[in-house]
Amino acid sequence: MFDAVVNNFPFLMGGFWVTVKLAFFALAGGIPLGILVGLGRISHNKWVYYPVTFYVNLIRNIPLILVIFWFYFVMPIIIGSPLDPFPSAVISFIIFEATYFGEIIRAGYQSVSKGQIEAGYSTGLNYIQTTRYILIPIALRRMLPSMITQAIVTYQDTCLAFVIGLPELIRRATIVDNLEVRSVQLYGFVAVVFFITCYIGSLMSRRFEVKEQEGG
Amino acid sequence: MIQIKDISKWYGDFNVLKDINEEVEQGQTVVVCGPSGSGKSTLLRCINGLEPFQEGEIFVDGVSVGDRTTNLYKLRTEIGMVFQRFELYPHMTALQNITLAPIKVRNKSKKEAKAKAMELLERVGIPDKANAYPANLSGGQQQRVAIARSLAMEPKIMMFDEPTSALDPEMIKEVLEVMINLSKSGMTMIVVTHEMGFAREVADEIIFMDEGSIIERGTDISFFQNPESPRTKDFLDKILI
Repeated sequence: MFDAVVNNFPFLMGGFWVTVKLAFFALAGGIPLGILVGLGRISHNKWVYYPVTFYVNLIRNIPLILVIFWFYFVMPIIIGSPLDPFPSAVISFIIFEATYFGEIIRAGYQSVSKGQIEAGYSTGLNYIQTTRYILIPIALRRMLPSMITQAIVTYQDTCLAFVIGLPELIRRATIVDNLEVRSVQLYGFVAVVFFITCYIGSLMSRRFEVKEQEGG
Repeated sequence: MIQIKDISKWYGDFNVLKDINEEVEQGQTVVVCGPSGSGKSTLLRCINGLEPFQEGEIFVDGVSVGDRTTNLYKLRTEIGMVFQRFELYPHMTALQNITLAPIKVRNKSKKEAKAKAMELLERVGIPDKANAYPANLSGGQQQRVAIARSLAMEPKIMMFDEPTSALDPEMIKEVLEVMINLSKSGMTMIVVTHEMGFAREVADEIIFMDEGSIIERGTDISFFQNPESPRTKDFLDKILI
């Protein structure tokens, strides 16, 4: 009944591994860049604020698939040499996801009341202590559930890399399907793999939300 | 203890404070009242250097607040401040809120800071709430924790910025009681409030501000009975009903 999946299991799981690697690099680059973007969006320096805001608005208003295409097909024309699909996809994801992480970080920062910071100062805490013990812990707690949700979205988004021929999970399922014509079980299997991994992530996210409500 | 000399402050073109002069002696309680937007809170925030001012000078215990070489962080350890909206740290228990600054700034041991915090929670009447998070405390309890948090630094001066304005009526009394006891124990206090009962009981001086200036000042009795300016009379009529 699951013959197509069973017979091609190593091939399919190899695709899952590509998906995991894509997500890992997308997050490993997207979150740090997102932190910089978030800081840029709260900067009072207009030479920082306006370029970063332009970047965020530009990227957030075009579809991810277009960023992937653009990077893969247009960049080689500009730089004059072809790009490998994997690094090209990773860079596209980093550029795209960083804008979303940046906005989460900006919102988390802005959710900390100015009064709580001033309360810190008024008890004699200095800038570093106030940032370390008040600003960052409060902001982090508020942004963690959204960060995890966005990480799950990033993980799901990685399947779009298939448009530039990366042999990730969905791409490999189509390859097998083209040979064996077992669409229901193959795409069912892909759905189960994504569901299980994402559901674990959303459970983690919910745990943090509950913690936040308790105040701890 | 506090000398305010010819303070003026602008937000852009807007003149928030105009030539304010005021002196607060050690152990005195000064009540500041006036309509919203009159500069009361701004004045408090200038005294502990949360906001800069453009003209004049403020001395706290002999230290100039406006001087660039003054270490404001150190100065603020001597001036407690209580806010209208409590501003407790939501990720910490009442006890942690109180002990944070003594441990980090005064370098007290955890044990010592905790003992002092429990003593203060006792003093404000909620020792049983030591391990509660702010979200699980009523407004009145939160404000009392905030007062204890300020007192934990053993400041020479306590400032209150409309400490009861965000509270339900039945909680105002419990906060005022703490403040009255504090005043009677000899703390130097500047209190922005419209609670005239509090002013009557403990104020050594009441100043009335409007549009950035002090337009009336007096010890309590004279202030209530015959305010000099019509503006003060009008305001007092509104808040005293």
